[in-house]
Amino acid sequence: MKLKQLFLFGFAGLIFLMLSGCANVAAWERGYLAKPQMAVEPNPLQHHIQLHNYFSREAAASTHSADGGGGCGCY
Amino acid sequence: MQGRVSDECSNSAHNQSRVIRSAGTASKALQALTSAAIVLPGLMLSPAQADDGGRINFQFSRYQEGKRDLFGTPNNFDPIRADVLHGNGLFPLTDRAKFSFSYTQDTWSGATPITTSPLAANPYQSILANTPSGTTVVGASPLIFPRGLLLDRNLNPLGRNPDGTLAQDTRSVLVLASASPETRHQANFGLGYEWDEAAINASAGFSLENDYRSSFGNLGGRLDFNQKLTTVKFGAGYTSSNISAILDHDSSPYLTKTAFAKQIENRGGSEILHGERQDWSANLGLTQVLNKHALIDANFGYTHSQGFLENPYKAMTVIFVDPDILNNGQTTPVPGDVRALLEQRPGQRNQFAFNTKYIQHINFFDAALHLDYKFTADDWGIKTHTFDASWVQPLPFGWMFTPRIRYYSQDSASFYNPYLISQQNFSRQAFDSLGREVWVDSLNPNNEYFRDANFNLVDGAGNPVNEATLLVEPKTVAFDPGQLPNNFSSDHRLAGFGALSGGFTLNKQLAKGIALEAGFEYYTRASAFKLGGGGGNGFADFDYYVANAALKLNLESMSLTKPAGGMHHGHHHGHTEAHGSTDHRHRHTQPAGLMYAHMLDKPGQFMVGYRFMYSHQDGKMHHGTRAVSDQVVVNQGCTDENLCRFTPSYMNMRMHMLDLMYAPTRWLNLMVMPTFMDMDMNLRELDGRPPRAPGVHEHTGIVGHSTGVIGDTLMAALLKLYGKRGHRLHASLGLSAPSGKTDIELRRVARADGGAIHFGMQLGSGTWDFVPSLTYTGEHDRWSWGMQVSGIKRMEKQNDSGYRLGDAFQATAWSGLDLSRWLTASVRGVYTAQDHIHGDFNMFNARTGPMDFPRSYGGQFWNIGVGVNVNVPGGRFAGNHLGFEWLQPVHTDVNGFQLVPKGALAASWSYTF
Repeated sequence: MKLKQLFLFGFAGLIFLMLSGCANVAAWERGYLAKPQMAVEPNPLQHHIQLHNYFSREAAASTHSADGGGGCGCY
Repeated sequence: MQGRVSDECSNSAHNQSRVIRSAGTASKALQALTSAAIVLPGLMLSPAQADDGGRINFQFSRYQEGKRDLFGTPNNFDPIRADVLHGNGLFPLTDRAKFSFSYTQDTWSGATPITTSPLAANPYQSILANTPSGTTVVGASPLIFPRGLLLDRNLNPLGRNPDGTLAQDTRSVLVLASASPETRHQANFGLGYEWDEAAINASAGFSLENDYRSSFGNLGGRLDFNQKLTTVKFGAGYTSSNISAILDHDSSPYLTKTAFAKQIENRGGSEILHGERQDWSANLGLTQVLNKHALIDANFGYTHSQGFLENPYKAMTVIFVDPDILNNGQTTPVPGDVRALLEQRPGQRNQFAFNTKYIQHINFFDAALHLDYKFTADDWGIKTHTFDASWVQPLPFGWMFTPRIRYYSQDSASFYNPYLISQQNFSRQAFDSLGREVWVDSLNPNNEYFRDANFNLVDGAGNPVNEATLLVEPKTVAFDPGQLPNNFSSDHRLAGFGALSGGFTLNKQLAKGIALEAGFEYYTRASAFKLGGGGGNGFADFDYYVANAALKLNLESMSLTKPAGGMHHGHHHGHTEAHGSTDHRHRHTQPAGLMYAHMLDKPGQFMVGYRFMYSHQDGKMHHGTRAVSDQVVVNQGCTDENLCRFTPSYMNMRMHMLDLMYAPTRWLNLMVMPTFMDMDMNLRELDGRPPRAPGVHEHTGIVGHSTGVIGDTLMAALLKLYGKRGHRLHASLGLSAPSGKTDIELRRVARADGGAIHFGMQLGSGTWDFVPSLTYTGEHDRWSWGMQVSGIKRMEKQNDSGYRLGDAFQATAWSGLDLSRWLTASVRGVYTAQDHIHGDFNMFNARTGPMDFPRSYGGQFWNIGVGVNVNVPGGRFAGNHLGFEWLQPVHTDVNGFQLVPKGALAASWSYTF
C-alpha cells in the first residue's frame, strides 16, 4: 500500500512538473541547460559499464535495449 | 552502445558551454546563445546531433567480486573478475552525416555458481594437501551429486551436529565451479544523419565468445518540437544469438540433461549444448525542458525474447524422495537422492521498462541534481524498482566530481527456487503389466526378459533363455518430468533481492580537448534489502567493486588549438622554421609495425595514438628450421621420463596499445604506452603420445584457452641526436614495467589443479626490462628510408613466477615511396633474435607439451614487411595518420619445438596536435 501511495505521489508530481514546465524557455535563456552537468547522461562511459554490470547481475529490463549489444553475461 | 549514444551528447553540450563562456563581446555572446538554442535540447540526446569534429574514447575497467559465503566450507575459489577494454569513436563524414564505431573486449575468470544445494547435503568435498605438519584441508571441490542426504518427514533437510545427532538444517549453499579465463569481443558500427530538427541513425554489430555468438542491428531517431523544448526519441532493434555451450567435463557426467537431449552434440569427447534465441526491442522516449533550470527525460522500453533463454551452465538441484519410504508410516529420516537437472526457463519473455529522470540545475553550486526512477515488469513475474541519484559538481581547473547512490530491488521469478523436492524416484525398477520385474540385455535394450519362480531368465513367452550368452540387467524407468514444474531455475539473479551501490566519477579536462575520467563503484547485494521484505536467499549475497579509467579525445577541440596554418598540416611540421626551407617535411612514413621510430618536432606538441598488432601461428611443429613429425615431438619435446602428450594447434595474439607522446623540447620526446593484449590457443593430442593414465583428466582441446587483458607498460624517452636536411638520427631509452600478469592458471578440474598456463599465454614478462633503440631516417623527394636497431634486456634474474623471458635484439631497414601527397607505400626487412626462457615456473605447471618448457621459446626470425601510410594533409581529418603493415615470415629458426608464425598485421592511428 505504501508503495502504491509513493507511486501516486510520484506520478502526480511528474504531471505537475510537466504542466508547470511547459512555460516557454526562450533561446537566450537556455545557457544553464547547455552545461555539461545538465546532460541527460553526464558520464556516458561509466554509465556504459554500470549498465553492463547490472545487466549481468540483475533481472531488470532496459529502456534502451534497442540500442543493441550482445553477449551472454553468463558469469 | 548506450554509452556511445549518450557520450556524444554530453561532449557537445560541453562544447556549447565552452563556446558560451569564451564569447567576448555582446554580439558574440548573442551569437553563441543563439547557436546553443538551435541545438538544444536535442544535442543532449542523440548521436547524430553531436555538433563537433569527432571524438575517440579509450577505457579500461575492472569488475571484481568478493568471495561468496559457503558457510564454513574452505573457500579456495577465486571470485569472479572481469577486465573490460573499450574504445569508441565518432567521425563526421559531412556536416550532417556521422560514422561511429565501438569495440569492447572483456576477459573474465573466477568461480561462478552452477547450482544451489541444501547445506546438509554436503555439496563440497575437502581438498587435502600434505604439509610438514600433516594433512590439512586446503580447499573444497564441488559435488553436484552428493550422497547421503536425509530429510525429516516434512521434507526438511537434516544436518549433522558435531556430536553426530541429526537436526533440521534448511540452509542452502551455492555450489561453485571455477572457470579458466574467457574472452568476449564486441564490435559495433553506426551511421547517422541529421536534419535541423530531426536525426536518424542505424547501427549493426556482433558479439563473439567461444560459446555465444550474437549479431544485432538497430534503427533509431529523434524529432524536435516546440522550438526544441520537446524531443521525441524512438528506436527498434533485433538481436539474434547462437549458443554452443561446452558442458563442463567435470560436472556433465553428473548432470541430468534429458530435457535437452536433442540439442546436445557429442564432439571429440565433449558435449556441446546448442540453442538459438531472438530478441526484438523497441524504445520510445521524451525529453522536455521544464524551465531555465530543469528538464525531464522519460523512456519506455519493450523487449520480446524467445528461444533458448536458459543459462546453459546453470542447473537445478532436485531431491528425489521415494514415495514408498515417505509414506511407510514410520518417523525415521527419509533418504533424499540429490540430482542436478539443467535449468528450464520459459521459451519466451516479454519485458516492459519505464524510467524517468529529473534534472535540476542548482544555481548556488552551479551543480546539477539527477534523480532517476525505473520500473520494470515481465511475464516471468519479476518486477523491479531502481532509484538513482547523482550530483554533478563542476570544480575549478577543469574538474568535475559526480557522487552517486543507487538502490535496486527485484521480485523473484515465478519459477525460481533454491532447490526442488520431488516425491518420486530418480530411477526405479520397471515392471510389466503382470507385475513382473523386467530385465534387458544391455547390448540390445529392446529385448525384454523376466525371471521365473526359480530366478531363471525367461523371454516374454516364458521360454528359458541362456543367460550366459547375454548381458542382462534390470530395466529401469526414469523419473516422470511431468511431476516437476515446467520451468525451474536456481540462478540467484532470478531470486528476490535488493542491492545498494554507491560511487563517484571524477573528470579532468586537460588542455587541447583531452580529458581523463576515473570512476569507482561499490555494490552490495542482499536478500534482506528487497522492497517489502527479505527474499530468503541470503546464501547468494555478494558484493563487487568496479574501477575504471578513461582517456577522452575531442578531435575538434584538439585541432582548434593548432596555430593558424598548422591546422591542415598536422604532420608536415618538419623543420620549416629551423631551416627556412619550405619543401622539407618530416612526415609519419615509418612502417606501422615499427616502434620508437617517429619523433615530434615542436616543443609543446602532443601525439595520441593507438596501435594494434595481431599475429597468428599454426601448422606443423618445427624444430630449428624444419617441420617435425608428432612422434619426434613426443619423444624429444618434453623430458625422457615424461613424454609429450599435447602440442599447440594454433595461437592468436592481439595487442592494443595506447600511444601517448609529448615533446617538452625539440630534442626530447616522452612517451607512455599502456598495453592490453589477449591471446587464445588450442591444443591437440600428439599422434603416438603415451596412453592416458587412468583417472587423470586432460584437456581434450575442444575449446582452447584464452587470456587477457593488461599487458606490460612501456615508457620511453626519445632523444634527437642529429637532424640535418633529409637525415635524422634519434635514440630511445625505454623501460617496460611489469604490469602484465605472469601467474595465470588454468582452472582446477575435479581435484586436480590446472596449474600455470603456458609461458606464451602469460600476459607480461614479469620483470623490469630495458628497451633501447637507435633509429636513422632519411628522406629525399618522394623517397624515404630508415634503419633501426633495438633490444630488450631483462633487468631481473627472474620474475615472481620463477622465470625470465629471453633477451631480444632486432634490426630492420626499410624504404618508402610517396604514391601521392598523402599516401606512402613501404617495404622493409626485419631480423629478430630472442633467447630462450631462463628459469621455470615456481608453481605447478602441467608440462603436457613443448609449450610448457622454457627451452622451446625464442629463436631467429626473418620477416618481410609491406605497408602503407596515410597522412591526411587537410580537410576534416587533417592531422590524422593511419598505417598498416603486413609482416610475412620468410625464414624461421626456432629454439626447441614451436609453432612458427604465419604472419602478423600491424595497424596504427595517431593524431598530432
